[in-house]
Amino acid sequence: MALNRRQFLVGAGGLAAAATTMGLGACAPGSSGGSGSQGGGGGGGTNLALAFWGNPTRNKNTQAEIDAYMKANPGVTISGQPGEFNTYWDKLATQTAGGNAPDIIQMDMNYISEYGSRGALLDLSKVDVSKFVEGTVDSGKINGKLVGINAGINSALIFANPKVFEKAKMDLPDDKTWTWDQLIEVGAEVASKAGVSFGVASLMGSDALFGTFVRQHGKELFTENGLGFDVAEAQAWYDLMLKGQKAKAFGTPEQASEESSKVLDQSAIVVGTAAMQYYNSNQLEAVSAAAGQQLKMLRGASLAGKATERKTWYKASMLWSASAKTKNPDAAIAWINWFANSPEAANIDLAERGIPPNAEVLAAVKPKLSPAQQTVAKYISDIKSEVATTPIAPPPGGGTIATVLFRHGIDVLFGKTSSADGAQKFVDELKSNLQS
Amino acid sequence: MSAISELSTIHRAKAKTPEEKRLLAKEAGRDNKAGYLFLLPWLIGLVLIIGGPMIASLYLSFTNYSLIQAPKWVGLDNYLRMLSDPRLHKSLAVTFTYVIVGVPLQLIMALAVAMLLNEGMKGLPFYRSVFYLPSMLGSSVAIAVLWRQMFEVDGLVNQVLRKFGIPATNSWIGDPQYALWTIILLHVWTFGSPMVIFLAGLRQIPGMYYEAASVDGASKWAQFRKITLPLLSPIIFFNLVLQIINAFQAFTQAFVVSNGTGGPADSTLFYTLYLYQRGFVQFQMGYASAMAWLLVVIIAVFTAINFYFSKRWVFYGD
Amino acid sequence: MATPAETTVSLNGPAPQEAIHHRATGRDRVTSVIKHILLIAASVIMIYPLLWLVASSLRPTEVIFRTPGLWLNDLYVENYTKGWYSLSYPFGQYIINSFIVVIGAIAGNLFACTLAAYAFARLKFRLRGLWFAIMLLTLMLPFHVVVVPQYILFNALGFVNTFVPLILPKFLATDAFFVFLMVQFIRGIPRELDEAATIDGCGHWKIFSRVMLPLMGPAIATTAIFTFIWTWSDFFTPLIYLTDPIAYTVPVALRSFLDATAGSNWGAMFAMSVVTLIPLFLVFLFGQLFLVKGIATTGGK
Repeated sequence: MALNRRQFLVGAGGLAAAATTMGLGACAPGSSGGSGSQGGGGGGGTNLALAFWGNPTRNKNTQAEIDAYMKANPGVTISGQPGEFNTYWDKLATQTAGGNAPDIIQMDMNYISEYGSRGALLDLSKVDVSKFVEGTVDSGKINGKLVGINAGINSALIFANPKVFEKAKMDLPDDKTWTWDQLIEVGAEVASKAGVSFGVASLMGSDALFGTFVRQHGKELFTENGLGFDVAEAQAWYDLMLKGQKAKAFGTPEQASEESSKVLDQSAIVVGTAAMQYYNSNQLEAVSAAAGQQLKMLRGASLAGKATERKTWYKASMLWSASAKTKNPDAAIAWINWFANSPEAANIDLAERGIPPNAEVLAAVKPKLSPAQQTVAKYISDIKSEVATTPIAPPPGGGTIATVLFRHGIDVLFGKTSSADGAQKFVDELKSNLQS
Repeated sequence: MSAISELSTIHRAKAKTPEEKRLLAKEAGRDNKAGYLFLLPWLIGLVLIIGGPMIASLYLSFTNYSLIQAPKWVGLDNYLRMLSDPRLHKSLAVTFTYVIVGVPLQLIMALAVAMLLNEGMKGLPFYRSVFYLPSMLGSSVAIAVLWRQMFEVDGLVNQVLRKFGIPATNSWIGDPQYALWTIILLHVWTFGSPMVIFLAGLRQIPGMYYEAASVDGASKWAQFRKITLPLLSPIIFFNLVLQIINAFQAFTQAFVVSNGTGGPADSTLFYTLYLYQRGFVQFQMGYASAMAWLLVVIIAVFTAINFYFSKRWVFYGD
Repeated sequence: MATPAETTVSLNGPAPQEAIHHRATGRDRVTSVIKHILLIAASVIMIYPLLWLVASSLRPTEVIFRTPGLWLNDLYVENYTKGWYSLSYPFGQYIINSFIVVIGAIAGNLFACTLAAYAFARLKFRLRGLWFAIMLLTLMLPFHVVVVPQYILFNALGFVNTFVPLILPKFLATDAFFVFLMVQFIRGIPRELDEAATIDGCGHWKIFSRVMLPLMGPAIATTAIFTFIWTWSDFFTPLIYLTDPIAYTVPVALRSFLDATAGSNWGAMFAMSVVTLIPLFLVFLFGQLFLVKGIATTGGK
């Protein structure tokens, strides 16, 4: 009797184990998996699941967009799956592993190649991007295939807190001509005159501004084959940070370390302890609201002192992708097409995700934008002559560059390693991340 | 009754003859039917829900698995890479420090407060709830934000220290040297769970033992040593074993306080936090699975040591 | 174990130790007052973060991080009144969801863990030691590496976007923590009681239900309280299994107030956190009463 029971249990356990491992294998691209759609309406028509990260405002906007689309396209049911940015990726990875990825996926530049280069994203070449501003389409291309449609243009820059500058009795710097050294000078001066901790905050961990720095040195962050820069550029960046720290422009190491884990509402420029801080253009409205005043946008610095040579680019604040295993590829493409090209969608979104890359749509919706968003739109069009070619998306393993850059930099700032050693470790770790 | 005592005498004398051995074997399986019947839900759960995934994760530890594509067999590659991974070594150091310092501190706190809140006094339910509250909040994002703020250069802790004349100019949360201590403190602050378990165990000790001891003139300390500790030992043992198991796997507090990064210069990179980064952020679930099984071995060793020594100081009623 | 001469079995008596402290001399009163003062001071330190949470929930978001300290000038109740409605559904929906999951989890744990614990602690069966070791082993594997295979399993069974993956495991005693806890408690109960019941002709089921369960009051209360609190606060499992916002539980809903990339509604998030703390606190307050019901019991004759 006992023997039979044991045999049964062992057998059942083996079966369960086999089932799970076979399930893992079955989730390779190409095999059928669930489309992950949980319909609100359900019966008969096409069902799509749409996953995105947001906030209460974006959640409401997106639901309104979904409703508008469903009204115009009866027979299509879309169910929204809102989430929160940090935990969104855990969920998406799990769903993808389970073959259950949502049909329409809001995507981020740091993750698009992880999914795109492994065949998890649908080819979106059927989406109409003809009216897109130049340079905004390429961010979504992985290995030549278009897998992400730009959902909002943004660009890396530096916000300035006018009240702090007033307190220091200084004018805003001329951001079209300033060099990195001048940036440090201005930062040091305003920090001491206004009595704030940071002249410029959050510079070291900014992968985008580091990217412009690297490109100004003639290299790239990433190439098709891996890392596009070397220890020398990394060391130059860390040396710049040390210089700024010594000049008391970038705050103490402790302050920099604390700042890195602060949430947006606590950040230095919002609470008034920084004169300037690295941010992305599409965050102007949110950060200004948190700070209680309209912040100003400053271009990043350049080696040569010319804004046209600072090698910035049009980033995508987020993109729309679709699952390669969706059961309704045409419906998913249709929705993405609608969002990218219809003024109706833009009228609801009101640039909350970023400036619409479709120039006609932008022109149509511009009068309805809030003053802050109009400022952002103007900035984006102003820098058109300054942007360089869009770099390729960070390859798999490259999405963590910002955290790795900051982590080794903090060691350098605290004096635990030299800038040369820190740069070496940073490059080594990044290379090993890219390889695995 | 007599058969039972007969068997136990045989057991104590260590079975020698085949006849005795057979009796003992039968004795060992005396409750087979009942045992497996009572155990059935757990067995089903083991087979269906835990066993399969556990074996799967062991299999995955020998693969490269990005979650997005099917796993690819790589043999011992992951385990070998673990040997030369500096962040892994760092995470082990961080975690060991946390276990060796944090677990005893928290348990002593828990036991002391449990004893305090066990005796008859007014307002007990209120105090118990108050001391348990931190555990209810301890892993929430809201508290993490506050905890970070408290330990900043100009945060509450330094402000209080300065009022006492101590020149406090460093950041506790931002300095790699001290960041881990803020997490250990957070762990000690949330001593509510072991405290409640101690309370439940203390409640189970019959009051008349203390009465009899008081009548005999025993001091409070002697009562503690001779009555409380031995009778509470199964519960102390439980808390010790489980707190160590949990401490090795500590994740949530480090995750929310450091915003998922592992703290300044990885000073709060707990082992499971690094595991999570490798698995979900870097899409290397195979490596993460290997890390997980290494942790199982480490924890199993510690648990086995605990069980081995428990025979010396844990006192069961049966 | 030194069995006292007296034997009384009183299952519903007052808490044992409280019977002792009846004399109150002057010195005892002073000690008591000092004790209370120390306890109150310690309590304030313990709950200072909670006080900060409540204070922040009554400030508008922009002000929260710029105002240190607890003092409130105004009471900004919009965090509560508007916060309740600012997600896809009124917050009550998420609280109800959490209650459903939690009650299912408690029922499951109480059912399955008591059974398994009785088997491990009192019954002799082959391979008992092995199963016990395996049970402990299940506690040692970090859940992050088990999550994906489990998800695949539940997905294959069609249980994604249901509460099944959140509740079913509890009915199968997957919370080894409570099994082990109860084992330790049962082992502290004298065997003489079992033997007495056996003499009276009870089989194992009767011993379990009539003798063991009533004596395991504190362990059962502890299990129920902890299951409630831990399941209520569980974030990751509901995150990955629940895709339809209408099914979200409280922790997932709280996260929805935040946006790392743009402004978060911290005020509302704190307010709703305070609101959801109330059930936890009440459960603990009442659960305590069962915890306190002591056992003034010793062996039978």
